Amino acid sequence: MGTRHRPPVRRLLYAVLAFGALALAGCSTLPASTLDTYGDHARRIHELLVPIAWMALAVFLVVEGALIYTVLRYRRRAAGTMPRQVHGNTNVEIMWTIAPALIVVVVSVLTFRTQAANSQMPADALKIHAIGHQWWFEFRYPEQGIDGADLVTASDMYIPVGRPVTVQLEAADVMHNFWVPKLAGKTYMIPGKTNYLTFTAEQPGIYRAVCAEFCGEAHALMRFRVIALEPAEYDSWVAQHRVAPVIGGGGVLGGDPNRGKELFLNARKLCITCHVIEGTGAKGIIGPNLSYYGSRQTIAAGIMPYSPENLERWLKHGYEIKPGNLMSRVLTRDWIAANLTDQDIKDLVAYLDSMKVNVALPPAR
Amino acid sequence: MAIAQGHVGHVSAPPATTVPAGLAGWLSTVDHKRIGIIYMLAAFVFFIIGGIEALLMRVQLGTPENTFLTPDFYNQLFTMHGTTMIFLAVMPMNVGLGNYVVPLMIGARDMAFPRLNAMSVWLFILGGLMLYFSFFAGGAPNVGWFAYAPLTQKPYSPTFGVDYWILGLLLTGVASIAGALNFIVTILNMRAPGLSLNRMPLFVWMQLIVGFILVFAFPALTVAQIELLFDRHFGTRFFVPSQGGDAVLWQHLFWFFGHPEVYILILPVMGIVSETLPTFSRKPIFGYAFVAFSGVAIGFLGFLVWAHHMFGVGLGPLANAFFAGASFLIAVPTGVKIFNWIATMYDGALSLTTSMLYSIGFIAMFIIGGLSGITLASPPVDLQQTDSYYVVAHLHYVLFGGSILGLFAGVFYWFPKVTGRMLDERLGKVQFWLMMISFNVTFFPMHIIGTDGMPRRIYTYESGMGWDLWNLVATVGAFLMAASVLLFLWNLMVSLRRGAPAGNDPWDAATLEWSVSSPPPPHNFDQIPVVHSRRPLWDHKYPEHAGDGHGASAPDPLVAGFEQPAIHLPSPTYHPLILGVGLTTLFFGILYSSIPPLSISLAVVGLALVAFAIVGWVRDSHKDSPYAAH
Ligand code: HEM
Ligand SMILES: [Cu+2]
Ligand SMILES: [Cu+2]
Repeated sequence: MGTRHRPPVRRLLYAVLAFGALALAGCSTLPASTLDTYGDHARRIHELLVPIAWMALAVFLVVEGALIYTVLRYRRRAAGTMPRQVHGNTNVEIMWTIAPALIVVVVSVLTFRTQAANSQMPADALKIHAIGHQWWFEFRYPEQGIDGADLVTASDMYIPVGRPVTVQLEAADVMHNFWVPKLAGKTYMIPGKTNYLTFTAEQPGIYRAVCAEFCGEAHALMRFRVIALEPAEYDSWVAQHRVAPVIGGGGVLGGDPNRGKELFLNARKLCITCHVIEGTGAKGIIGPNLSYYGSRQTIAAGIMPYSPENLERWLKHGYEIKPGNLMSRVLTRDWIAANLTDQDIKDLVAYLDSMKVNVALPPAR
Repeated sequence: MAIAQGHVGHVSAPPATTVPAGLAGWLSTVDHKRIGIIYMLAAFVFFIIGGIEALLMRVQLGTPENTFLTPDFYNQLFTMHGTTMIFLAVMPMNVGLGNYVVPLMIGARDMAFPRLNAMSVWLFILGGLMLYFSFFAGGAPNVGWFAYAPLTQKPYSPTFGVDYWILGLLLTGVASIAGALNFIVTILNMRAPGLSLNRMPLFVWMQLIVGFILVFAFPALTVAQIELLFDRHFGTRFFVPSQGGDAVLWQHLFWFFGHPEVYILILPVMGIVSETLPTFSRKPIFGYAFVAFSGVAIGFLGFLVWAHHMFGVGLGPLANAFFAGASFLIAVPTGVKIFNWIATMYDGALSLTTSMLYSIGFIAMFIIGGLSGITLASPPVDLQQTDSYYVVAHLHYVLFGGSILGLFAGVFYWFPKVTGRMLDERLGKVQFWLMMISFNVTFFPMHIIGTDGMPRRIYTYESGMGWDLWNLVATVGAFLMAASVLLFLWNLMVSLRRGAPAGNDPWDAATLEWSVSSPPPPHNFDQIPVVHSRRPLWDHKYPEHAGDGHGASAPDPLVAGFEQPAIHLPSPTYHPLILGVGLTTLFFGILYSSIPPLSISLAVVGLALVAFAIVGWVRDSHKDSPYAAH
């Protein structure tokens, strides 16, 4: 019953641990890592996870160690050995009932503290409504509205750095889930129920975010960005956004923005049945608000970086790019081909691209 | 029913049988052993199907922006994979083993309600087939195994997939509740003389607890599914928020079932290793009472933690704190079991058979799953980990690393009893190591990509998120796991034909099932044993090491000490099968309620079959006595 030759199992264990440590250390700067935090909500979660993880590692080592030791030590007894028939030991058993209970008490106390901190909702927080749709996010700013109407945007959520933001979460159709891993833990968007999530961005940056609850065919392609700006820059963004967009600058891709605007507002081309652009009379509410589209970070809810070329692709091939999306379903592939020429599409792209907000963008985190 | 005459002494040959030969014998069987085998075979087939679905998903996720599968088909696959593994593979595998082993362990001749038992197995299989029929009827369900409202409503899920999900699972639900009642009554009423609850094998204890959990948990799912069915077919609004319904209600109902369900999946397996570890350590279980009662505690606490699946739903900090506390508490009885298992091995004479290796592997992996469960049970941490690949890692460490590895331990352990032949140990060990390694290669990286922000249930992801490598690794691991399962299949087929003969008691075990031949005779025991301790067979073999540690040595258990009742077995019948087919037909009728002529004809045929079966079933019991009298 010796442990003479070095047991392979133990070596394997060391390898697994080393590998785990490396892997965790390496992942901290990845785009959606929950360990690379820039918001207070996510940071406090990280600070809670660390002690729990250490305790878990200790328990892991002790228990797996005891298991492996026992197996290695007692596996080579001569066949037919009759071990002592021990039926139990009440004192020992009481002890190892209490030990995990103590650990659990510590974890509970730590947990409740973080919970209390993370559920604060300061009265002076900036209020933003976030509404989940199949399959994109809408953001409304009731406090920064124009003539009593909300300031509305989609797919890019602008917030100021250093000021608490309370996001009021709602859903238009099915359940969705609002997740910005580097800023805050996720919270459901539930039709018929209102949830609130408060967090403060601690650094300017462009942060990745997704819908985290399965919500149908294109759930995997339902993303957004949170853009945290220095307060002055944020105020400037708001101020610019409160003015209805006008065509600024010339056409991209050889399109004519003025003709594009006419097409956009032409009821027979159907854009305005679903979209709003402030100040133009386009009042559709089924799709995202397209005011200042030229300053979007992404196209089609976070799935492609914004560029005129990608916008053209989206208008032509939305069907393939985002299977199931409502715009392609309503319009249908054939309808687009039959009713919009290549030049029409270039003009539309030029129009949408021409509406820009002028802010200095922070780095992508 | 006439009470048979007392009949003392050795019963020589089993009664001349009226069991039809071949397939007919299986379709009409009411023998708990045959029913157990049918359960296990069907569960294994569903396990393979669920595994193939998993491989397809892993191929899709092996590289970023892959277009191997369409989004909708991927969504069908993950829904069917989860539903299959939980309801059609692990649950029935547990039930099948229980069916086979429990009556033998408690010295009974069959389950308490043999015909009900037959009905359960057929309803489970028919429910599974009905669910799978959806693939050929417009598309499988595509809403996830927990089918959150209101995505399941007609406007968002217009195909029949959700209806097949509801009705197929309702059939298996009837099977489960009937089966659970059967287990409860069997275990409480049919134990051999002297086999008090305090002497019952731990596997039987865990099956008893699971019986109770099932009876209390399943109705919540059934109610929710029927409400959803009414929403979709008959215009009710239970889960339609825009019309006064409540989407969160579904989650409460589902998880009130769903959390206890995970214990339905794991407790029988904890029972299995509580049998194998003592046997292969040549020691009694350490702390029998603690192991049994921690099972009771887990079963009870399991009903108080369901909202830990809903921390992100916004129930409020107080509710979350309560459910977090209760979830943390479950770690205590779980820890106790693990310590007791290790202590059982401590100072033992271990023989590292394949079954023992799987039992140890089960403990090793279950620890990891339990620890990731602790981080998930902390609401703030959960908000980062829920709905990410971290949860996928957690649930596979407990369900695969836990339930499935433990089930392999059980299969290697009882295969000789069931077939009379040993599984090949060398192949078994190779398969074990391949499984352990590939399992960790597949699922350990998911902790990492989950922590790195990869959401679950996505059919595609973009490159550059740092997830590519680990996803590829997981895909490779999945194929190695498949190789390990194939190796097991090979072992099964080879050993069934050429395996070494097992004898009655190949493992030198302690419980009653090993005192009879392998496979056991139809009536199980020639003489019903009288039990004086927790290890009747052990005490018979090793009188100098007998007893439960209280000093007094027990009399030999295998010598009958009372008037033996005559053997009384129910006769074969097709009525449970016919009832199952009738109910399934009726359910198809409900499913196609939008097409009245089809719907009504299916319902009428189904109801007629059910009525015919019930009448026949009632008369079946009168036929039992002649078989018993031989
Ligand atoms: C120490 C014991 C355990 C604790 C504290 C625990 C905790 C949790 C928590 C909090 C979740 C929710 C994760 C989320 O979605 O945010 C979860 C998910 C899950 N757990 Fe556990 N768990 C434990 C043991 C088990 C066991 C024994 C099983 C089954 C054998 C199990 C199976 C599952 C499954 C299937 C899910 C995922 C459900 C789904 O989202 O589809 N867990 N667990
Ligand atoms: Cu989603
Ligand atoms: Cu749970």
